[in-house]
Amino acid sequence: MTIRSLTGQAFYILTALANGPRHGYGIVGDVADLSQGRVKLKIGSLYGVLDRLSSEGLIEPDREEAHDGRLRRYYRLTRDGRGALADEADLRAASARVVWARLGLGGAEAAG
Amino acid sequence: MSGRPALEQRYRRVLRLLPGYYRATWEEDMVATFLDSWLTGDPETDQAVLTYCRPSVPEVASVAGLAARLYLGGAGAPRRYFAWGQAVRGAVLAVLLGNALLGLGQLLLLVRSDHLIGWLPAAPGGVWFDLSYGVGIGWVVIFVAVVLGDLRTARFIGALVIVAQVVLVLQAQLGDLLISPLATWTDWVLIDLIPVLALAAFHRDAPPRARRPWLLGLLALYLLVSLPLTAADLTGHQAWVPDNPGVGCLLVALLCLAHVPRAWSRRPGPGVWSLTLVLLATLAGLNRLITLAYYPHDPHLVKVGLVELLIMAAAAALVVPDAGRAPSAVPSPPPSRSLG
Repeated sequence: MTIRSLTGQAFYILTALANGPRHGYGIVGDVADLSQGRVKLKIGSLYGVLDRLSSEGLIEPDREEAHDGRLRRYYRLTRDGRGALADEADLRAASARVVWARLGLGGAEAAG
Repeated sequence: MSGRPALEQRYRRVLRLLPGYYRATWEEDMVATFLDSWLTGDPETDQAVLTYCRPSVPEVASVAGLAARLYLGGAGAPRRYFAWGQAVRGAVLAVLLGNALLGLGQLLLLVRSDHLIGWLPAAPGGVWFDLSYGVGIGWVVIFVAVVLGDLRTARFIGALVIVAQVVLVLQAQLGDLLISPLATWTDWVLIDLIPVLALAAFHRDAPPRARRPWLLGLLALYLLVSLPLTAADLTGHQAWVPDNPGVGCLLVALLCLAHVPRAWSRRPGPGVWSLTLVLLATLAGLNRLITLAYYPHDPHLVKVGLVELLIMAAAAALVVPDAGRAPSAVPSPPPSRSLG
């Protein structure tokens, strides 16, 4: 079986939802914070990824709340979403350990 | 609609780029998130924002990119959009192949202009000719890059080629060298600009291309079509050589005729290749019509061009019924290779 990896944007979005349900704008802000400003999601990009994550069963709608006369929809991670995020985090951590070791930065022991 | 703030109305107009099924699910949420990203909480500022601001260009581009991905579907898309996506990708690759063939011809001209092969007659040289030869080589690079899946390189070289061609056409226009500026610019839009813009169809959900048939296709067409035509041209038989739009029409006609047995068989395929051929025929036909303006004083060549057009239209008509089946007959696309 081929393990499908997460795209960079999907990884940050799932990480944003790992703390609890978020609405669209909350995700945009959290992703910017998590990536230290390197990933600035446009709305079209955000909903492209949300649509795919939703159809893959990695996220699902949580609830809707009225705000300034509009409905904000909140999203949460599913069990599969948690699993996919944990797998991706493991993969990235393993890659990071290899990089630290090759650079001789001693991160391999620290991370291990 | 009229009770909504102007900014919201403008953004909803942008969202109309998206397919209806997608808007039904996501539009309200996208609007709410978009407005959240603008509003400050200060009533006076927010009023001004809602009245006077417009969605930024990057924001519109992100929606347009999403629309291209959805309409020209790949992995996980509804079958109808997958069929269109595959057909457009096939047509774009075919046009790029045609441009790459011409590019190989330009490479030969560059060799001739530098007298690198003594027995071939010299071709004109100089800055503008060298630039046009460079553009031709650029098309070869674009085609190979798309086939190999290096879309970043293809888009970068595509942008350079488009800019270089604008410079070349402007230089020719300013030098009063164009027979029909309108036809030249329209030809540029159809055959050069649209294929580069349509590289958007090769998004990451798009299935990978079969490399070998396309690369062999370039080689085979160069050896079987371009070289004989060049040889005829160089040996004083120009009268027998169709112009490029004519060659395009005749090649599309041959492809249609070659596909007819499959399209009319009792167990036809999914019809995507027929849809690709119809798209190609439409583009080649428009190009043929427009470029007839290059022969304002030569009714014979206009007649030849019209015959080429009619031959292609007749051949393409044979695959139209099969093309119409494609949106419903194509199998469901494979799952995406990556998550999210």
